[in-house]
Amino acid sequence: MGAGASVSDIGKVRLRLPASIKTGDVVRVRCLVIHPMERVERDKAGKIVDKKYRYIDKVTVTYLGRTIASFDTTQSVSENPFFAFTFKATDPGKLAVTFHDTHGETYEGTADIRFG
Amino acid sequence: MAEETGLSRRAVLGTLGAAGMMAAAAVTVRPRAAEAQGLGQNETIEAALKRVFAGRPMKDGSGAIKLDVPLIAENGAVVPVAVEVTAPMTPQSYVKHIYVVADKNRIPIVTRVALTPESGQAYMGANIRLGETGDVRAIVEQSDGTLLQVKREVKVTVGGCGG
Repeated sequence: MGAGASVSDIGKVRLRLPASIKTGDVVRVRCLVIHPMERVERDKAGKIVDKKYRYIDKVTVTYLGRTIASFDTTQSVSENPFFAFTFKATDPGKLAVTFHDTHGETYEGTADIRFG
Repeated sequence: MAEETGLSRRAVLGTLGAAGMMAAAAVTVRPRAAEAQGLGQNETIEAALKRVFAGRPMKDGSGAIKLDVPLIAENGAVVPVAVEVTAPMTPQSYVKHIYVVADKNRIPIVTRVALTPESGQAYMGANIRLGETGDVRAIVEQSDGTLLQVKREVKVTVGGCGG
C-alpha cells in the first residue's frame, strides 16, 4: 500500500473490529480507506494552484441506522486515511463507515455486529 | 377549536410535522456545505482558533484529556494521533466534539470529530500530516459548551505537507 497504491485501489475500505464482542461492550473500531488525499499544490511563484482538490472531507459512522460519530476532515489528514472510534454495542446489527470525498464519491465499509 | 377553523387536528399536526422536517433538513444541510469549505483553510493557528471557537475561553484539559502523539515523527506524512477523554457519555453530559489541531500546518485544523452518547467513550484516532515541528492540540467541546485543551510538541524529521 502507501505510495504504491494504484488508482484502481482507491476507495477500498477496511474495517477492523475485535474478534468477539459482548453485549454492552464499548468497542474500538479501526478503519482505513485507500485515497490520495491530494495536498495543496503550489506553482513556481509559490502561489496555491486553484483547483478542486480531491480529499476525504467527511466520514460518518452509523450503527443500527443511526449516526453515532462523524469526522470532518481536511487536507492535513494523511494519504490513505486511518481513523479509529468507539461505539457501544447494544444490539446486533450493521455498523457502517462511509467516506465522502470532495469529488462527490462515497466509499463504504460495513461490519455485521453479532454477539457470542 | 379545530372544527371552527375547518382544520382537523391531524391536518394541523401533519403540516407542522412536515414543516419541522423541512426546517431540520435545512439546518443539517446548510452548515455542511459552508463548513466543508471553511474547516480546512490556509491560515495561521490564531486565525483558525478565532474562526472556529470565536475567542471562547479554553480550560486546561490535562486532567481529562489523554493526547497520544509521538515525541518524534520521522515521517511527517503519517503521524498517528489518538485522543481519549475521561468524561461521561450520557445524554445529559457528553463530549460533543474533539478537534485535532496542528499549530504549524498551513491548514491547522486537521479534523473535527462529532460524537454522540452512543459512542460509549470519548475516543478518536487518526493518521495526520505534520508540516514541521510544532504543537499538536486536542480541543474538546463538551455538550454544555465547555472547551478543554491540551497540547504537545511533536518533532518532525521530514515534513509531510508538501507545497
